[in-house]
Amino acid sequence: MRHTRLLPRPVQTAVLVVLLLTVLGPVSYMVFASVSSDLDVASGAYLPTTVDLGAYRRIWSTVDLGTGLLNSLLVAGVVAAASAFVSVGSAYVLVRFAFRGRVAILRALLAMQSIPGTLMLLPVFVLFASASAAIGVQVIGTRWALGLTYLTFALPFSTWVMVTYLRGLPPELDEAARIDGASSWRILTRIIIPLSWPGLVVSGIFAFLLGWNDVLFASVMTDPDTRTAAVALQVFGATQEGGAIPVYGQLMAAALVCAAPVVVLYLVFQRYLVGGLTAGGVK
Amino acid sequence: MKAIRGAITLLLGSALLTACGSDDGGGTDGAGKTLDVLIGANTIYPEQQRKWFDDVSAKFKEQTGATVRFETFATPNDELTRIQTSVLSGQGPDVYALGTTFTPTAYSTKAFVELTAEDWTKLGGRDKFLPSTLGISGPDEQHEVGVPFTSRPFVMAYNKELLAKAGYDKPADSWDGLRDQAKKLTAGDVHGLAVAYADSFDPWKFIWAMSLQAGNPLVSDGKARLDDPTTAAAYRTYLGWLATDKVVDPAAVGWKNAQAIAAFGQGKAAFLPMVSATSKVTLDKSSVAGKYAYAIMPTIPPGATSLPSGGEGATSILSGDNLVVASYSKNKDLALSFVKMLTDVDSQRTYYQTFGELPTNATFAKELQADPALAAMVESSSKAVGTPFTGAWSQIQLALVNVVVQSVPGLSSGTVDDAKLNGLIKEAQSTAQGALDKAK
Amino acid sequence: MLAPGGLLLVLVVGVPLVVAGQISLLDLDQYTFRQWLDAPFVGLDNYVEAVRDSALPHAIWVSAAYAFLVTLITLPVGLAAALAAHDRFAGRGLVRSVLLIPYVLPAFVVGTVWRIILQPDGVADSAVGRLGLDAGLWLNGPRSFWALVIVQAWTAWPLLYLLALAGLQTVDPEVHEAAAIDGAGWWVKLRRLIFPYLRGPIALGLVITFLHSVNNFTLPFVLFGVPSPRDVEVLPVLTYVESFQNFQFGLSAAMAVFSLAVVAVPIVAYLRAVRLT
Repeated sequence: MRHTRLLPRPVQTAVLVVLLLTVLGPVSYMVFASVSSDLDVASGAYLPTTVDLGAYRRIWSTVDLGTGLLNSLLVAGVVAAASAFVSVGSAYVLVRFAFRGRVAILRALLAMQSIPGTLMLLPVFVLFASASAAIGVQVIGTRWALGLTYLTFALPFSTWVMVTYLRGLPPELDEAARIDGASSWRILTRIIIPLSWPGLVVSGIFAFLLGWNDVLFASVMTDPDTRTAAVALQVFGATQEGGAIPVYGQLMAAALVCAAPVVVLYLVFQRYLVGGLTAGGVK
Repeated sequence: MKAIRGAITLLLGSALLTACGSDDGGGTDGAGKTLDVLIGANTIYPEQQRKWFDDVSAKFKEQTGATVRFETFATPNDELTRIQTSVLSGQGPDVYALGTTFTPTAYSTKAFVELTAEDWTKLGGRDKFLPSTLGISGPDEQHEVGVPFTSRPFVMAYNKELLAKAGYDKPADSWDGLRDQAKKLTAGDVHGLAVAYADSFDPWKFIWAMSLQAGNPLVSDGKARLDDPTTAAAYRTYLGWLATDKVVDPAAVGWKNAQAIAAFGQGKAAFLPMVSATSKVTLDKSSVAGKYAYAIMPTIPPGATSLPSGGEGATSILSGDNLVVASYSKNKDLALSFVKMLTDVDSQRTYYQTFGELPTNATFAKELQADPALAAMVESSSKAVGTPFTGAWSQIQLALVNVVVQSVPGLSSGTVDDAKLNGLIKEAQSTAQGALDKAK
Repeated sequence: MLAPGGLLLVLVVGVPLVVAGQISLLDLDQYTFRQWLDAPFVGLDNYVEAVRDSALPHAIWVSAAYAFLVTLITLPVGLAAALAAHDRFAGRGLVRSVLLIPYVLPAFVVGTVWRIILQPDGVADSAVGRLGLDAGLWLNGPRSFWALVIVQAWTAWPLLYLLALAGLQTVDPEVHEAAAIDGAGWWVKLRRLIFPYLRGPIALGLVITFLHSVNNFTLPFVLFGVPSPRDVEVLPVLTYVESFQNFQFGLSAAMAVFSLAVVAVPIVAYLRAVRLT
């Protein structure tokens, strides 16, 4: 294929420079502020006058950030994997089989994106509490209950992504297998999943992000042993009110540490991300 | 002879106690049980707080055999959400440490144990506590839910050097006098007052104090009185510091409490009103260490030179934490023994020494009275007044702060727009009255 | 194979939605919520109160206006980014990743960082001041609305970029060749040959950006706190304050149902426009 340019070089360069500045301005400020003195930050200095890495040491003892990060990794990681695989199953059915209500389900998947979290918080909590009373097992405060909630909220979008991805796979592939007498389960695990890695990665990443970033549900559904990094991070924000002087350095350092895993994740899977969203195309 | 009698009483006493314990099905014998306790995360002393958790748990285990598990909340919003979900679902922490001003709302949910005379005995008796700290435990003595745990009366820090230079030996005792002093103290980048206009809690405390001093408790007999001229005067004074008197750094429109403390700590403000003893740690590490002192805030309302008849010379809201026991708790007796332990002299002393928060235990409070460094706090504590005991208080508080939030953008114009202010107050009044009308 | 996902969605989304609907019909507040099933049934009273005596109509207006503006801004930015990042150049992988950072940062982090940037005397004010402009108040007053729009747009545009970039991969290689031979200007080529391929992904991106902006609770909450300045009193913050600070659970649920209606408009429009087969 002959490569052609979409934008003339100067335009391309200009666009990229402006965008990179817009993105990196605030991001670099985060880094600088995390090593600045709190006084510098308060007085609006962009560059630090002195560099002090102490904040990165102190954050671990101010709150139990280590446990928080571990919990977040665990919950968001499991949610990512589970949502990728649950959604590929649902998407396979939705793409390959014609049945009543199929279009309605597809519509509902997107419509579910619109439900505000503030509406769901109390009812979900009530539901889990009554479930817990009914089965006599602790539900609220456990990692799996939190994971289950995130998984559910992640599923609509993950399934949507998988639906678009699977549409891009030629139907001949599984039709041939079906003629050979393979079961749907076998087709899914042997043919579809191995071919869908980019899509699975994308839907997994979006699910991971949802679990990693949530504060609302995590703040009421965790206890000290199971609290996530996002909740631990709130404590730094709370230092703004009530007696202490603001600890901007620690706040920024903790924010960076909490953001690092997701940023790394995106850096590593960046290539899949575009490819995974591509194949089916949304027309 | 006396010693032997004492020993016998003690033995008998403990035997009786044990007997009581085993009688009501476990009682304070908590072996194998876990008590969940929700308390605010201490952002000034995070490590000390963790150590305190461990020490308290160990001590309680030794006394009762039960394990205590502490949970923390980061912000008051966080705590509210936590309480609501727990009450709604009937599961969650057994004991909560609640801010005093939230106790009325908590009481109105009926989700917390109303303490009977017997319960108070288990806690060591009502007499164990400073009478003033019991002021917001319930609507009356027969219906109390909150056990006073710590006291954080509000005072004002002032910069001794700056005041001396301007020829003042102490802060004024009226708000007008304070404003005049602040005007004289404002020069260059030093301002008279450091006030956190963007704080979510500080503003209403000023309005409440000034109104009450002028004779208006904001709520009386189920009627909101925010539309009283005294309240409008309070708002005009509070907002006027920045807008018309120009004794506050203009950047204070974006300040939270922490930034006001920071400004004072840098020597950029002469007065820092509305702080508690917890600010001491921060200020002792700042550039004003050794150069500042605490005093009570003015008790004479704006526009007056002496306390008007009907006015109450309140120095502070009744502030601190109350401990409440959830009525869904399956470990009520264990919870009560835990609360007893925390309010005993030893625990109160440790708590004061670790976190600098004043005791509610009368015996230990007496010990502290002699300390001159605490004079202002102790005085403020004795003159503190409880906020109105109504389940609608949380909403009223929010309505009071809302007036300040919506007024802030106009302050840079250099005037307090009376028409706009009156409109906002009217709105707050109707919100407050609406909330009171819904009280059941 | 639909069962596991379907069951979860019914249980964790469906049932709570019904419960939320039920709550919106109850007089549920601090006095009644301990026994919430026994709370008095008040029919549509909460809905009436929400429309007549609350800040809801204003919040709907603010939310819709801000989300619309954000969506409007992300379109050209995301599209330009995708076009620029599509063509090969040295370091493309790295640039593509960096452009995603604002989207990846947790909303709580974004809110915290920008609040410090925008605070009075903060780094934004000193930058603006250096340009000789008046440093003013960003986190309250009329400008706070624009602060919200800017920050949300800053964190939201990469989704559109990502979807548009993915869309560009689907462009037929022959189209590129045809375009090369054609000799028309680059803008004309883009408009005639490339953009038609991007219609689907961009429509999806716009809808999702709008929805996420309307439903974003964390960002305005962290940026402005509560009580919220009137210019940025958005729906999720209003519903949160009504239920978790004012204990008006019934009223709050009714408000949330209204906000569902607000987001339903673009969703329905989108679903009507796309072909779902």
